[in-house]
Amino acid sequence: MSGTELLEIRQLTTVFPTRRGEVRAVDGVNLRLKPGQLLGLVGESGCGKSTVLLSILRLIRQPGQIVQGEILFRGRDLRKQSGKAMRAIRGKDIAMIFQDPLSTLNPVFVVGEQIREALRIHHIVSGPRWPWPLDIAVRQNEKKRVLKIMEDVGIPSPMDRYAAYPHQFSGGMQQRALIAMALICGPSILLADEPTTALDVTIQAQIMDLMRQINQSHGTAIILVTHDLGLAAEFCDTIAVMYAGRIVEQGSVDQIVTDPQHPYTEGLLACRPRIQQREQRVQPIPGNVPDLAALPVGCAFAPRCKYARELCAQVSIPMFSVEDGRFSRCLRHTDFRIEPHLGWDEIVRL
Amino acid sequence: MRVVKILERLLATIPIMFGVAIIVFFFMRLTPGDPVDIMMGQGGAVSTGEIERLREEFNLDKPLLVQLWLFLKDALRGDLGYSYILKRPVTTLIAERLPATIELALGALLVSLLFSIPVGILSAVRQNSLLDRLTMASSFLGISMPGFWLGIILILLFSVRWGWLPVQGRISADLKLQQVTGFFVLDSLLTGNRQALISSLRHLVLPSITLGAPVAAVVARVLRSSMLETLRSDYVMLARSKGAHEWNVVLKHALRNALIPTVTVVGLQVGILLGGNMIIEAVFGWPGLGRMVVDAIFNRDFPLIQGSVMVYAFTFVIANLAVDVMYTYLNPKVSL
Amino acid sequence: MEIAPDVRTLLDRQFYLLRIRLSIWWANFVQFLNELRQHPLALGGGIIILVYIFCALFAEQITVQSAFRGNLRMRLQPPAWLEGGSWEFPLGTDAQGRDILTRVIFGARVSLMVGGLTVGISILIGVMLGTLAGYFRGKLDSLISRFADLLLAFPFLIFAIGVMAFLGPGFTNMILALTFKGWVEFFRLVRGEMMAEKSKEYVEAARATGQSHFAIIVREILPNIIHSVFVLGTLRMGYMIITEASLSFLGLGVPPSLPAWGSMVAAGRDYMLVAWWVSTIPGVALLILVLAINLFGEGLRDILDPRLKVEG
Repeated sequence: MSGTELLEIRQLTTVFPTRRGEVRAVDGVNLRLKPGQLLGLVGESGCGKSTVLLSILRLIRQPGQIVQGEILFRGRDLRKQSGKAMRAIRGKDIAMIFQDPLSTLNPVFVVGEQIREALRIHHIVSGPRWPWPLDIAVRQNEKKRVLKIMEDVGIPSPMDRYAAYPHQFSGGMQQRALIAMALICGPSILLADEPTTALDVTIQAQIMDLMRQINQSHGTAIILVTHDLGLAAEFCDTIAVMYAGRIVEQGSVDQIVTDPQHPYTEGLLACRPRIQQREQRVQPIPGNVPDLAALPVGCAFAPRCKYARELCAQVSIPMFSVEDGRFSRCLRHTDFRIEPHLGWDEIVRL
Repeated sequence: MRVVKILERLLATIPIMFGVAIIVFFFMRLTPGDPVDIMMGQGGAVSTGEIERLREEFNLDKPLLVQLWLFLKDALRGDLGYSYILKRPVTTLIAERLPATIELALGALLVSLLFSIPVGILSAVRQNSLLDRLTMASSFLGISMPGFWLGIILILLFSVRWGWLPVQGRISADLKLQQVTGFFVLDSLLTGNRQALISSLRHLVLPSITLGAPVAAVVARVLRSSMLETLRSDYVMLARSKGAHEWNVVLKHALRNALIPTVTVVGLQVGILLGGNMIIEAVFGWPGLGRMVVDAIFNRDFPLIQGSVMVYAFTFVIANLAVDVMYTYLNPKVSL
Repeated sequence: MEIAPDVRTLLDRQFYLLRIRLSIWWANFVQFLNELRQHPLALGGGIIILVYIFCALFAEQITVQSAFRGNLRMRLQPPAWLEGGSWEFPLGTDAQGRDILTRVIFGARVSLMVGGLTVGISILIGVMLGTLAGYFRGKLDSLISRFADLLLAFPFLIFAIGVMAFLGPGFTNMILALTFKGWVEFFRLVRGEMMAEKSKEYVEAARATGQSHFAIIVREILPNIIHSVFVLGTLRMGYMIITEASLSFLGLGVPPSLPAWGSMVAAGRDYMLVAWWVSTIPGVALLILVLAINLFGEGLRDILDPRLKVEG
């Protein structure tokens, strides 16, 4: 089953202890990613979507912890890898792009050297590894690759920009530099955490274009984390909608956009402003993001849901397979078929 | 480029030095009592003619502003006057003593940084560990401890009780050391005098620790809190996501950024290093500028006091300039 | 909530306002005490400071021995817990046969007075000049700021020693020497805060209602920045006390007739080999007081002004 999968996440659960009790930032998440696939992970801020990405790289900040689940990368469970093996995967096989480029770039090092760092760590360029000033040959080759990738991601005159500091870059250029950093080792998976949120709309489009090019030319699979369903719909093949640490709906873009199954997805679609239909008013989802430390037993969305029944808040809702490759976590689907392999027994905790 | 800017900054300190000189000059003239009377104090009966001659020699018969002008003119030429008591030029006296003081200050700085930087890093990395708690507690003690008292305690323990280290002085009296620079450690290295090197280093240990303790305390605290901040930053996460080793992340990405606020604080400590020097020199019988000043104060040797205070202030200004330069080197967002 | 009394006379009204103000102050104070309980170290520091103040105030009443006249036959007696010590002199005696405990208690007077007075006067000068410079700016500001910059070119202790050298030892001269440069830090703090606060909306609003500059400064701005001044003042007080002790240690401080911890440490140095307690015990008293003040100051900062996190 998992043979063709590049990355398969099963029952991933990540918790953060807080003063008011344990918070399940990610609760039983299942995801699959094929080579070259574009997966969108959509949800409001604080729903745990960034935590999924950090969990994949095992970079959850202390005292947060992955307590359950498997993260299979090319069939190997990343949770069982040693620290060294994990470091060899980070940046080389799985790379990440962060949300706020200015705070993500180290302000005291020149951009070129920061891009080169991953090359050096993973010894991508072969050659004798002399200690620092003697490693000129390798350094020159690495620098050539850095300049090439800077050009590829659209940083003009890379020769001059190599020795510039992050604060001398514009926001768009900073994000391009971050993308260059992530791509330099040719990863098979790119984790993009709200890569365009901090940018202007026009720059946003450029960056998304760039990421699509990367996907097409290098065959890099991308998990795009965003709060913007529209952006995900434009960019991805598959979308998973997250709410309060759980995936509530999953399916292909067409299915999700044209025929949302979960009320939350419906809500997200309804509150998306569309320029073409100016007279139609945006409909916000009523209520607020739930308190993760005090989630109800049942559906976390129930308090905001217009279809909610009494039962919704009382029983744990399993993932229902609506059609092939299409899942939704809502009691409205009780007449649909239940797929046992998704771990029904594990999910239903009454 | 950077050299030019440093020179510019150096030039900018000149008005400050003039101001310092003027303040020092007026303080001296505000002192009750005629300098000549003080000078003659020990001599006993002196003829009126001789007093007049001395007044003329030291320009004391001229108007105050003329005196100020002459004082500044001489100071610019490096002539800080003539010691009433030691009967030698102040500049020479200071030049003889300054290396000892600077050697002690540098020793203290070295000791404090050698101690505080690793401890600051470790207690940030292992926040709330036993080491962290110990560090915080002892840094609090270090800030609150009067230097002269710490010095006495150290002498009591390490010199008197256990006899491990010498009580006072810069070098054993029976050792001959040819002086080149006046820095004993450097001199003994230059002349290849192993015994003198060991002896001078042993003499340096306790005063350096005493003088460096408060500095180490402050630096460790600041470094810890800035490391805690930088370790939480996004760029540290980025470095980890590239596959960097945790120590590389801590020592390169987090530390380089945490050093920026720390350097500012080290700069503020330079004043403590210089001022504390006077006290520590008195405790350890260290033959430096500070002890000479204290003696001069008791002898009411005003030209010597005046000159020394000016030299202290000048050293302080230069040290602050050095810290500024280092700050710009560490922080690419700031230029001089 | 009480019902407002009849506002018959102006006096009544003033009295009423005063009562309201007092009750607000009291409420603030109670809230401060409550928050202090969250910082046990700061609370401990505060209690130790109170004990020292009590000792300083009632030194005559709580001591048995004389702090000034000794009994030479009783010189260099060890503390009570050592062999040869007695409870007559719980912490031993010095070279003149004077009770060390008594002298330490009297020494608290000098340290607390110097600390309190220097910081108090420095705050007074610093706040006044800082307000003038930061609020009105102009030539006066650049003049004072230049002068402050000049003073900053001297290391603190060296400046104090220099001033003491010219003024000669003495209690008043000590206060003068320490405040001569001590006000600069408060000046810089208040000036900066003044400039920052002045551009805020509430000041604009106060000016729009036609309040005088004096009223705006005293009623609107100062209450907002005085917290930071107090926090800095507490943190500086420990340093002032150490500086006073250092000067007294060098013999440049208060006259030898007054028992001061610094000069007691210095006097005991000659007897270090035979009687370690003479110089160490006054130092312990000093260390504990400064430690308590610093702990209290840190807590104060956490409670009142978490922004002021730069140490130095």
